[in-house]
Amino acid sequence: MPTLKIDGVEVTVPAQTTIIEAAERVGIEIPRYCYHPGLSVVGQCRMCQVEVERMPKLAIACNTPVADGMVVSTRSPKVEKARRAVLEFYLLNHPLDCPICDKGGECPLQDYTLTYGPGESRSVEEKIQRVKHKVLGPHIVFDAERCILCTRCVRFCHEMPKTGELGVFSRGDQSEINLFPGKVLDNAYSGNVIDLCPVGALTSRQYRFQSRPWDLVRHTESVCPLCSNGCNVVLDVRHRQRGEELLRIRPRENQAVNRWWMCDEGRFTFTSLHDPARLRVPTWCENGRRAEMGYDDLLLRAARAIRRVVEAHGPEAVGCIASSRQTNEELFLVRRFFREFLGTPHLDFRVRSVQFQASDASEDGILRRTDKTANTRGARDLDIRPGPGGLDVAGMIAAASEGRMKALFVFEEDLVRAFPDRPLRQALGRLDLLVASSMFSTETTALAHAVLPALGFAEKEGSFTNFQGRVQKIHRALTPHVASQSLPEALRDLAVDLGRDLGGIEPEQVWAAIGERPGAYQGIAWKDIGDLGLLPEES
Amino acid sequence: MAFEKILTRYTNIPNYTGTIDEYIAHGGYQALPKALRELQPADLIETVKRSGLRGRGGAGFPCGVKWGFIPKDSPKAKYLVCNCDESEPGTFKDRMLIEEEPHQLIEGLIISSYAIGCRLAFIYCRGEFVYGAQVLERALREAYGRGFLGRNILGSGFDLDVHVHRGAGAYICGEETGLLESLEGKRGQPRMKPPFPAISGLYRSPTVVNNVETLSNIPHIVLRGAEWFASIGPPKSAGPRLFSVSGHVERPGNYELPMSITLRELIFDHAGGIPNGRRLKAVIPGGSSAPVLTEQHLDVPMDFESLAAAGSMGGSGGVIVMNDTVCMVRVGEIVSRFYHHESCGQCTQCREGTAWLHKVLRRIEHGQGRKEDLDVLLDMCDNMKGKTICVLSDAAAMPIESYLKHFREEFEIHIRGRACPFEGKGAF
Ligand SMILES: Cc1cc2nc3c(=O)[nH]c(=O)nc-3n(C[C@H](O)[C@H](O)[C@H](O)COP(=O)(O)O)c2cc1C
Ligand code: SF4
Ligand code: SF4
Ligand code: SF4
Repeated sequence: MPTLKIDGVEVTVPAQTTIIEAAERVGIEIPRYCYHPGLSVVGQCRMCQVEVERMPKLAIACNTPVADGMVVSTRSPKVEKARRAVLEFYLLNHPLDCPICDKGGECPLQDYTLTYGPGESRSVEEKIQRVKHKVLGPHIVFDAERCILCTRCVRFCHEMPKTGELGVFSRGDQSEINLFPGKVLDNAYSGNVIDLCPVGALTSRQYRFQSRPWDLVRHTESVCPLCSNGCNVVLDVRHRQRGEELLRIRPRENQAVNRWWMCDEGRFTFTSLHDPARLRVPTWCENGRRAEMGYDDLLLRAARAIRRVVEAHGPEAVGCIASSRQTNEELFLVRRFFREFLGTPHLDFRVRSVQFQASDASEDGILRRTDKTANTRGARDLDIRPGPGGLDVAGMIAAASEGRMKALFVFEEDLVRAFPDRPLRQALGRLDLLVASSMFSTETTALAHAVLPALGFAEKEGSFTNFQGRVQKIHRALTPHVASQSLPEALRDLAVDLGRDLGGIEPEQVWAAIGERPGAYQGIAWKDIGDLGLLPEES
Repeated sequence: MAFEKILTRYTNIPNYTGTIDEYIAHGGYQALPKALRELQPADLIETVKRSGLRGRGGAGFPCGVKWGFIPKDSPKAKYLVCNCDESEPGTFKDRMLIEEEPHQLIEGLIISSYAIGCRLAFIYCRGEFVYGAQVLERALREAYGRGFLGRNILGSGFDLDVHVHRGAGAYICGEETGLLESLEGKRGQPRMKPPFPAISGLYRSPTVVNNVETLSNIPHIVLRGAEWFASIGPPKSAGPRLFSVSGHVERPGNYELPMSITLRELIFDHAGGIPNGRRLKAVIPGGSSAPVLTEQHLDVPMDFESLAAAGSMGGSGGVIVMNDTVCMVRVGEIVSRFYHHESCGQCTQCREGTAWLHKVLRRIEHGQGRKEDLDVLLDMCDNMKGKTICVLSDAAAMPIESYLKHFREEFEIHIRGRACPFEGKGAF
């Protein structure tokens, strides 16, 4: 392996490593625009030029492989002049509308100009005027004046979704990014060009003018809940006087899961978190009249009903349908409550046909998967399945309609929608007790005696296990509504009402219990699960 | 001593039209059988190396050495591409060679293909050369008809097909890797090097790109020997060269001469000197990309080394002569307008720099110059040179630097006087 020196720091890397990659290993960031580790190398922006001893010209670090004994400088006077020049050239026609630009504050053109650029322009020529807001597709708007022609967006569309909607048109200083005739930038991954664009040329129609980067006070690491891939994300939350708001989801690099990317559905489908129609307060329905009710009263009534059912019909008259939308921690507590405390074998989570296969499948050979929930693997690993003699979801529905099942809990699933061809209304209508948790009113909650508001993924602390078996943490980005409790809190209190102690409900405490059990997660503690998750077989 | 014309020998033949019969009647297609029957590819490469033939497209790279870079053991197809994009301002010799003596090029192309193991060759023709492309197509048909192309050429077992491809009118498609992209049907923009075309060229296969004039020399080298060729002109710049002389001379045109010829001889003896008793002011010796020379350089010989030593370059052989009515600021404006228009736009310095150069020079020419402009121009040139994917950026910067070096006073007069002192007659 060649050993070289970069700014006096020695580094040994495999042959074929480029200077820009080698520098990264020792924490030296060589400024770049067109280079991106996830895209092909084109060497166009000329920003990453470095001086290499015994090379007559400056070398571009993105395309120069290392060699043994190489001596590289990333800040020699020659390099600094060349870099300053590139920035000066960029700014010749740049509109400098930073004050109204979404990218301002997190813009590599601003940042590098401040660090390496000329303080003032020497140009007195008129700037070229170009189109300021062209809608390229459902999610993206383009500002041609801000574009620095790094071609990252073009290469992304050619190389990742392989849809190739974008190209460079005309040449020289007339060059412009545009759609090929008849095309729309509408692929399942189009939002990634927003992150890739090193200036404010490609902006999100959803996020546009919503915030300044410095008003996004929290950047919470999390995992996308919308399919079993579990793309790593960052949740950008703005603090407002009237409450915080999640304004943007961005992918977070995880080479084992989503590399640098995420799909548009995962990126843009979060507004339901702030939907005013969300259920916030528990309700109780008796004699056809539904009323809001505090948790204490509601859980007491539920506990009484459960006790009556168990006394009269035994624990087999109670069932629970959990959800692969729930976190591992919630699922573990659900299992403990129903299987261990109540002693019922009727526990399941499989309401989708893909969950009956050994595994779901890739939807497009890229990231998206056919199981549109986050935690099927976790539910399997935690054995959220019928115990000996237990019923699966269909069996529980049948038992309810036959009057054998008396009390049923349904978490975060709309059973009526999930099984349109079964007599759900009739079956659920016969129950002595139906408890449902949900973010929104559904046909199932309409039939429930007790409805508990469910929290969204951005309001929970916990973990999901993606289809590979990788356990990944989600963190709370948004404070739950004051009137809503988390499911673990509600289960804990319900257990107390039934004279049982569920134990600690914080993720760390739950994992202490999970780790003790034989199974996929034996020996794992909460702190073992790092920022990039943990694959049990690798640990 | 009268120089024996080689590439343009046909111009001495009355009523010569360049058909295959005429070409053969005057000694054409004799090198081909000799090469195929008597020489191994390796011998041919060796011969061309020994001849000292250097590329006539601009860079002057030794032709045989370039051929030698083609890997012998690669399982990939090998390609020969003839660069007939000739778009360098002031250069018009390839056009003449294809229009008037197409078979000389085709014979050279076949022999060269044999030397490097190519079975499919291309002639990339400048888009505007409609007539030249037609002539080539006709000549290729003739060559196929005689069995010089196609399967089993002259019973040798060697097969070759040749296609003419017309470009769409971009100077940058003359740069060899821009040409290859264009030939592959992509946007014509140069590739990063390495890898060089000899390793990864057309369709990522080993490829040689040679200029029309370079290849036209090959039959003569094969027929008359490397030593004969090497003895023409100075040792490091062997063989004949076509100089395209334009501008303020009595007899503009192409002149085939050895590179030992001096600028003075070329301009005054061959091209008939400056008309109307005017004085020579400036001369660009190797196409618009070459730095300008002045009267003091008239005795410089036109070989690659001497021109480089004089601060310019042999380039494409386009000699642009300017008399004392020419405004050098206007020349700068026109030359920079060309590069501004032709930059492919990939590299930041070139895309933005060519435009900025042009705008500043236009401003100075139109009386709006500022005294700080000249130093900004020089610094801009420095920032554009040696830092980009191809050398178009250098080609845009070097001439302007040279105009400022030799004619700074003239720029200053424009700025001080807020006008072009040549107004009305400064055009060329
Ligand atoms: C901007 C630019 C334009 C060029 N245009 C031409 C051209 O029109 N014809 C040509 O033969 N070479 C041209 N060249 C040089 C080619 O890149 C290449 O060096 C040449 O075709 C090699 O052939 P040779 O070795 O026979 O000279 C150009 C180079 C540059 C940088
Ligand atoms: S729009 Fe953005 S990503 Fe695309 S080329 Fe321009 S600057 Fe680069
Ligand atoms: S691929 Fe799946 S996990 Fe990734 S962003 Fe899309 S929906 Fe979310
Ligand atoms: S130097 Fe100019 S012409 Fe050459 S590749 Fe770069 S931008 Fe294109």
